[in-house]
Amino acid sequence: MIQSKTGQMKTFLKQWQLQSMVIPGIVWMLIFCYIPMFWLIIGFMDYSIAKPMLQSPFVGLKHFEDFVTDERFWRSIRNTLGMSSIKLVLGFSIPIVFALLLNEIRSLRFKRTVQTISYLPHFIAWTIFGGIMLNWLGEGGVINQLFMGLGIQEREILYNSDPKYFWWITFFSDTLKETGWSAIIYIAAIAGIDPALYEAAELDGANRWQRMWHITIQSIRPTIAILFILAVAGILGSNFDQIFMLKNNMNMKMAESLDLYIYNMGLVSGRHSFSTAVLFARSIVALGLLFLANYSSKKLTGDSIF
Amino acid sequence: MNKSTIRKSTALVLSALMLGLAACTNSGNDPAPTSQPDSSTQPEATPAETALNPDEPAWRLDTSPVELSWFVGASWYPHSWGESLNSKYITEKTGVKVNIEVPSGDANEHITLMMTSGKLPDLISMGSWETAVKKLWEGDHVYALNELADQYDPYFFKVAGDGALKWYRQANGNTYGIPNDSYSPNLMHETGMTAANQTFLVRKDLYEEMGKPDLSTPDGFLGALQTIKDQYSEYKGQAISPFFAQGNVPYGMTEYLQNLLAVPHEKDGKVYDRITDPDYVNWLKTFRTAYERGLINVDFLVDSDTQVEEKTNNARYFMMVREWNGMAAVNPMLAASANPDSYYIAVDGPQNSKGDSAKLFPGNMDGWMVTMISKSVKNPERAIRFLTYLASEEGQLDLFLGKEGETWDSTSGKPQLKPELVELLSSDIEKLEKEYGVMDTYWMMRNPVIINQWRPEKSPVIKQMEDFANAQADIDSGIYKGLDPLGDSEVAVAWSRIAQNWEEVLPELITAKDNTAFDKIFESFLSRRDSYGFAQVMEHRQAELDARKAKMAE
Repeated sequence: MIQSKTGQMKTFLKQWQLQSMVIPGIVWMLIFCYIPMFWLIIGFMDYSIAKPMLQSPFVGLKHFEDFVTDERFWRSIRNTLGMSSIKLVLGFSIPIVFALLLNEIRSLRFKRTVQTISYLPHFIAWTIFGGIMLNWLGEGGVINQLFMGLGIQEREILYNSDPKYFWWITFFSDTLKETGWSAIIYIAAIAGIDPALYEAAELDGANRWQRMWHITIQSIRPTIAILFILAVAGILGSNFDQIFMLKNNMNMKMAESLDLYIYNMGLVSGRHSFSTAVLFARSIVALGLLFLANYSSKKLTGDSIF
Repeated sequence: MNKSTIRKSTALVLSALMLGLAACTNSGNDPAPTSQPDSSTQPEATPAETALNPDEPAWRLDTSPVELSWFVGASWYPHSWGESLNSKYITEKTGVKVNIEVPSGDANEHITLMMTSGKLPDLISMGSWETAVKKLWEGDHVYALNELADQYDPYFFKVAGDGALKWYRQANGNTYGIPNDSYSPNLMHETGMTAANQTFLVRKDLYEEMGKPDLSTPDGFLGALQTIKDQYSEYKGQAISPFFAQGNVPYGMTEYLQNLLAVPHEKDGKVYDRITDPDYVNWLKTFRTAYERGLINVDFLVDSDTQVEEKTNNARYFMMVREWNGMAAVNPMLAASANPDSYYIAVDGPQNSKGDSAKLFPGNMDGWMVTMISKSVKNPERAIRFLTYLASEEGQLDLFLGKEGETWDSTSGKPQLKPELVELLSSDIEKLEKEYGVMDTYWMMRNPVIINQWRPEKSPVIKQMEDFANAQADIDSGIYKGLDPLGDSEVAVAWSRIAQNWEEVLPELITAKDNTAFDKIFESFLSRRDSYGFAQVMEHRQAELDARKAKMAE
């Protein structure tokens, strides 16, 4: 594993065709992620779109003060944390369990079919999938029919009009759409495990549960750790497309996430500087969370991103 | 994935980060892109100037081929130039080939982005209410039409008529845009055509079977809803949704409902706070009662556009607070369906306690879209001459009816669309617009004063709604439309916070458990509104109204 600096360089040069494949990705990141960072500066200005960018007056932390005193901002924080926590606590393990179950299937054809079907919904855009969800949740939708048929409820409920259901609607619809897709990375990690480990364990008399616990899960632990770190870092993010499709005036109280708040302030109300300030603050907190999660993961499991 | 690959990718990310930072410093040192128009793009005087005659259109002076790009600020605009019969005819006649561009999303954002890049389409048509319009004018991105006309085509002043130029004149004496669908109060008084869209609609067969119940008083309204619930929750095989309001809270349940209730816009010269009007509040309480009794659901507040469309197309709504022109396609379809009486008719909806008939918004001087000539245009003289031509009676005729003999004939001295095209109008309007490109295909410069005389008679199921709206239009209320502050000023921010809060509060009012709870929610909204700066908003509305009145008096 340990190589000298020159040795590393040599390998790198030898693989230049392969290594250069990463260039488009780096260019993409530069253009869309790094260069735009410079314009965070308008969060400290009273930026007006009619004027050239750098001629707007500096106003310091005015916009930051404005948003921390806005009750709607704190509401959006609560909603974001609420939805993210449900997703993290209940949702994080679902693709792992799914990948493990899939791994235990003997029939290869069945396994492939299930896998393909499960990740198909991922390729439906939220604009479409959200529309389908709205129909399902509507008065005459399948959910009402199912629950009324089972005797769980007596009359139709407009699920999408009651704020208290909103977080759960986002959680279940997201699980429905993304489980198969999120499992792919675990399935790939499982596929990379040396079969000799299983054979050896079998010889030593390990049963299926023991093999799953001591070999499969232990081998994909770094992957789980990385994805967990990223998930924690993304706790202030939300699925904008999903919420944008499912929100309405009635469930807005519980639906307005931080992303939607930034959108409503920036693009809907035209407060570009203000929303940039919110975005900036959010990014700083997210960076902090990333370090925190990384540090704890390193301490607890020894696996970390950096 | 093992540790060393992780480390490698981290190194890559880090180096990308550093590269990014370097790139940023560079871009920071670059001179800021200037959006000031280059002085060299100023039009140069041409020799033809001496031959200009204010009584003659100047486009005939030069009909050599030229291309003009034309931005139409509506993402749904489906037409192009050059395929339809009519666009070919006009290109042949004037030499102007138009390239129509539409925004992929929001027109306002699209033009704003183009403004920052400094390169704009030659002609720009945009909703007159859009904030980008003001920015185009103030940022000197478009030509003053009067200056271009002075220089290249003084005939423009003859045709850009009916005070529209004066209406859009800015403080510096220049006019930068020319509106379409602009209606002056005088014109509306003269012709009775008001361009009013707002109506209260009911499904005809159900309404008649119920014995035409009175819907104008809270008691009548609740009674009719009770009948629906008891006897017609299913009608002709369809589950009935009793009520719908177009444009959700901010429009259908607020401004529009207030118009139905004839809530005044001003009292004794002072702008009136319409939301606190007792009649309006009383009707909101009526909706609350209806919800409490289970007579209405809140589907009209949560349904997506597709869900609304589905219900409309199946005539599942009993009554609708809805503009009739949105029903122009559906109503004939319903009338031709298996239930030919399931189409919608306009009737008296909710009224105030005095029983006044509705005071609906008419068309107004602002019109719909304004068309401008950007400073990016290479041939400003051709652009202004083309606009002048389109604004003139000749251009309006060409654009609306096409070429004489091909798409229209002159019978008894009046131009009339050929019968087969009139037939298409009701059977296949898409074909009419795609192949022929007449009527309302190219509406960017449509002047109702000129073209309405050539319109074929509308089908009766549409005409009923239109006539109803015309009869209840308050012709002098166009001046009150859109008094609210826009943009990113402090008062505009205050207003947008209030308006967005109202969108959440109104549903709470309707679903409140009793009238005491209703009052409490309403009170807390009013005090929140004050804390957001409502006083300034009222000041702004008053100033805007005074300015408009002064302009009208000119």
